[in-house]
Amino acid sequence: MVQFHQHIISELLEDPTGGLVILSGGLSLHKLISNLVYLHHSSQGTLLILSSYPSQKQSILNYSNSAGTLAPKISEITSDLPSHHRTSLYTSGEVIFVTSRILIVDLLSNRLKASEICGLIILNAHTLSETSTEAFIVRILRSGNSKLYVRAFSDNAQAMVSGFAKAEKILKCLFLRKVHLWPRFQVYVSQDLEKEPPEVVDVRVPMSGYMIGIQKAVIEVMDACLKEMRKTNKVDVEDLTVESGLFKSFDEIIRRQLDPIWHTLGKKTKQLVSDLKTLRKLLDYLVRYDAVTYLKYLDSLRASESFRSVWIFAESSFKIFEYAKKRVYYCKRLEDGKIVGQSKAAAPKKRKLQEKNKDKEDSLPENTNSKVVLEEVLEEAPKWKVFREILEEIKDERQKQALSTEEFVSDTEAIDNRTVLVACKDEHSCMQLEECITKGPHKALRDEWEKYLLSKVELQSLPKHDRKKKPQESQGIGVLDGTIRKTSGNNKDVSSISKQENDALLAAATELRKEVKKDDGTNSEIFEDKAEHQKGKKRRASRNIQTTSNVDDKNSDDATVNKKSEKHPSESRKRIDPKVIGGVHTSIDEGISADKVTIRKHVQGVDTEGTMLPPVHFYAIESDTHILDILKPSVIIVYHPDVDFVREIEIYKSENPSSKLKVYFLFYDESTEVQKFEASISRENAAFESLIRQKSMMMLPAYQEGSFSGFEPPMEPASTTSQNSITRKAGGRKTIEKEMQVIVDMREFMSNLPNVLHQKGMRIVPVTLEVGDYILSPLICVERKSIQDLFGSFASGRLYHQAEMMVRYYRMPVLLIEFSQDKSFSFQSAWDISEDVTPNSIISKLSLLALHFPRLRIVWSRSLHATAEIFASLKANQDEPDEAKALRVGVPSEDGIIEDDVRAENYNTSAVEFLRRLPGVTDSNYRALMDGCKSLSELATLPMERLAELMGGQKAAKILKDFIDAKYPRLL
Amino acid sequence: YVRPHGNSRNAILVSHRQKGNPLLKHIRNVRWEFADIVCDYLLGQETCALYLSVRYHLLHPDYLYFRIRELQKKFKLRVVLCHVDIEDVVKPLLEITKTSMLHDCTLLCGWSLEECGRYLETIKVYQHKSADIIQGQMDTDYMSRLNHALTSIRHVNKTDVVTLGSTFGSLAHIMDASMEDLGRCPGIGERKVKRLYETFHEPFKRVV
Repeated sequence: MVQFHQHIISELLEDPTGGLVILSGGLSLHKLISNLVYLHHSSQGTLLILSSYPSQKQSILNYSNSAGTLAPKISEITSDLPSHHRTSLYTSGEVIFVTSRILIVDLLSNRLKASEICGLIILNAHTLSETSTEAFIVRILRSGNSKLYVRAFSDNAQAMVSGFAKAEKILKCLFLRKVHLWPRFQVYVSQDLEKEPPEVVDVRVPMSGYMIGIQKAVIEVMDACLKEMRKTNKVDVEDLTVESGLFKSFDEIIRRQLDPIWHTLGKKTKQLVSDLKTLRKLLDYLVRYDAVTYLKYLDSLRASESFRSVWIFAESSFKIFEYAKKRVYYCKRLEDGKIVGQSKAAAPKKRKLQEKNKDKEDSLPENTNSKVVLEEVLEEAPKWKVFREILEEIKDERQKQALSTEEFVSDTEAIDNRTVLVACKDEHSCMQLEECITKGPHKALRDEWEKYLLSKVELQSLPKHDRKKKPQESQGIGVLDGTIRKTSGNNKDVSSISKQENDALLAAATELRKEVKKDDGTNSEIFEDKAEHQKGKKRRASRNIQTTSNVDDKNSDDATVNKKSEKHPSESRKRIDPKVIGGVHTSIDEGISADKVTIRKHVQGVDTEGTMLPPVHFYAIESDTHILDILKPSVIIVYHPDVDFVREIEIYKSENPSSKLKVYFLFYDESTEVQKFEASISRENAAFESLIRQKSMMMLPAYQEGSFSGFEPPMEPASTTSQNSITRKAGGRKTIEKEMQVIVDMREFMSNLPNVLHQKGMRIVPVTLEVGDYILSPLICVERKSIQDLFGSFASGRLYHQAEMMVRYYRMPVLLIEFSQDKSFSFQSAWDISEDVTPNSIISKLSLLALHFPRLRIVWSRSLHATAEIFASLKANQDEPDEAKALRVGVPSEDGIIEDDVRAENYNTSAVEFLRRLPGVTDSNYRALMDGCKSLSELATLPMERLAELMGGQKAAKILKDFIDAKYPRLL
Repeated sequence: YVRPHGNSRNAILVSHRQKGNPLLKHIRNVRWEFADIVCDYLLGQETCALYLSVRYHLLHPDYLYFRIRELQKKFKLRVVLCHVDIEDVVKPLLEITKTSMLHDCTLLCGWSLEECGRYLETIKVYQHKSADIIQGQMDTDYMSRLNHALTSIRHVNKTDVVTLGSTFGSLAHIMDASMEDLGRCPGIGERKVKRLYETFHEPFKRVV
């Protein structure tokens, strides 16, 4: 345990009501929580942990498990747990992870008493607001238990300062008075972490010429987009810099500014927002992906971006596509037997590249019919080479060390320290780097390239798109000189690939495919090839990887490649003999649940002389598993720098001051990667400085015991009346004479409306409703739609179905259209209304709904709070709703409803939604399909007959089957 | 009250009370003519609309109630077309909502005269139209359907659909792909991989 964690905990314990802790990212929040939980004793009552992300939950569980038997038992409540089990857990005095949704429902239906709970730990406090369910829970618990403590945590300072006085509001809604700030620059923290700093080597890798070109071009386009954005006069100019554009939070900044007026924005502005997002990704991927994958991504992007995108037609964008292509291949033209470059400016550079890659290059057999021939470039990522060099350096160092200290170092120690941890941003990069060291960088890239080509083959059988036919002529002129290519008025062609080039690509792909067919012996239809490939993968995923001698298993394409290389002696020289590649052995992280975590492996590569490189363990930072304590590496190579991970390393080092640690950072010099890294530190610092200022000016009321925010203390023991009737005078409102009651569907507890209704003094009865979301009276049933839901459920037809049901069962069926407070109260701006009546317009859809359901009432609400007012007013002269009756409505009689059925968690909702969107699947047959097979992947394998049986007809089954098996149309 | 006949059947009938309402300028796609009717706009045999601006309602809070009472029970669909022309709208809108609801009227809100005009036009034009476009029917070509299905999974966008399609070749192969293969696709990060994999491989019904 690091010292400053102890400080945090002791500070937090001083205030019996709890406090809010905000600390820098990467400072091992999970360990802090685990240590705090460690102090819990079951005699105090039950401790609940709320709103944790799955990865956080896992880390805390893992860490606590490793602490041994003395640590308190941590359980988890999911809705799978029958209600009596939940009830007994609530009284157990244990530490329990629970979701807010389950907890609020259980509180409202009296499954637990506030007095049984001694405290709450709330993670991710930055996601809270006055109306969130957590605030609802705290209000109810506080009113029934004056001794309750609430300890809230956040390791995202930036999110804490977004919006006006957010930290103060969060404190208020949790009835807390103290905020504890623990930035990285705090004295205790920096003392702790800088006492025994690890040895750091900062490696700056220059980017290749094309990469610089692409980066420059993307930034130019971004800049242009930002300028356009400023012209709209809709956003605060200050935040609009390219630098801030590098961050995800940039979208938030823009959205926050634009949200109140989002519905009134023109198409162009909306497009600009989404373009900026795309461009940010392009910059990120430039330093993350290899040349071929990057090109492939661009291809996909081009195929999917609508013609509306502004950026694709910007002049610099042409350069992005052009350079990205040149990193992979270029076309040369054969004329009178000699090679003519496309442009004079480009020629010298190409020759240089050719030289550079001379030994590696192996052009595909030339197709004499075509005038344009494909020449491979396959530029390797510059970091690859450096990465390898570092590994070799480590090896050399270790050899030296081993020689000098052979006698003193015991065996185990030597082995323990051998693993080199390589941290990449994502799984994709991990796999690729692994291939780089097992197969060699060039071959890794070639594999990608061949896959890329093969994916284009299918195109031949498809009719050609004429739009893309364009003679070669001016391609690439002047691009390398940095002058802007003159674009014709027809901008579409800028980004499209010329026909000849297209042909050349196809020729190469066909050639490759033929070889696959010829050599592979087996049936080499690509798709079957793919299937096998996948099987190979699966086998690997199920951890049967004794791959010492069988690299082929990893990638069935290998068969192709190996055969191929026999034809090209130059390549086979470079090929690494599979037998030399030692121990690719898996080691599943101890303590990490195996099903969730993708397998990690130690990989041993071979350097050029054939000697062993040190074993390497790849780690994807994205996966958010804390691996340092398990692996205990002595050398860490940070391939993609990430601030949080750096801090994790610092903590690891300060917890293990005696063990040596060397850290290599790999940065692309003068890249946005560096910029981003540095900016993220300064942004966090700025956030903390702002929090420190806010803290000094906060105005917090003194909460007296038992009276939280106008709550009156319970007048009578909670046993006689239901839990929440006591709190009905919430929010300081006048006493409502008659107690109002609203029946609310379980799923609605994802939203904040139940909380606000409760604040208004209504009794909330949570049940699972088949029809409607809220039942206000025996006559009034309300289906609530936010604006986004409204559009979505019109599109899916769900709203039509829901209206049908409500109209069938209730006298006054209501569609509630709820706008959000901070967004504009209108559907669209006047200039977005088209000239004529069009079926796509929301006006048309609402009109049709009104025409088809003349009895359906539509309620337009400005905000959550307005909705609560409307509900109260509509209920005023009505009877209270009948819970038992509401439950029975619309329930199919044959499958009686189970009492605690919380549908959202008993069903894989994402899969059900997907299923219902498949052609052939209808409202009447999807249930049978779900009963008939376990999952979607199983559905894909069902034969026609079985499908027909389940779907009740040949025709529907054929539609579904055809769709599932249809070949994806390939487009260049 | 004159029943529409002959060539005026295709026109919106407008009450003389509406004379001078700038809204009329925005009824452009449908013919309209003045007539002696009890409602403000007659949009079909059994469909009528009353027009109310929120500003006017603030001056004459009882107006809407009396107008609705005049309508009696002649119409199947009675629309209150509300022009939201002030900023602080919560309280008046609550009153309008309550009155409309308790007297069997469907409330439609427009934020501009163009929008209000468009509602009138649309209801007139669509009076005999089937509900197809709100019943979830959509483009039936392969790409639209594939997009429709795959983008229902959170975080998956259209670019990802292209990537997945071109990498795996068919929906069947996408549904069968391993986590690792999904992770190899450019643009598909950890989060999307998990989402996709869970959607396809976790059972429809979780085991209780």
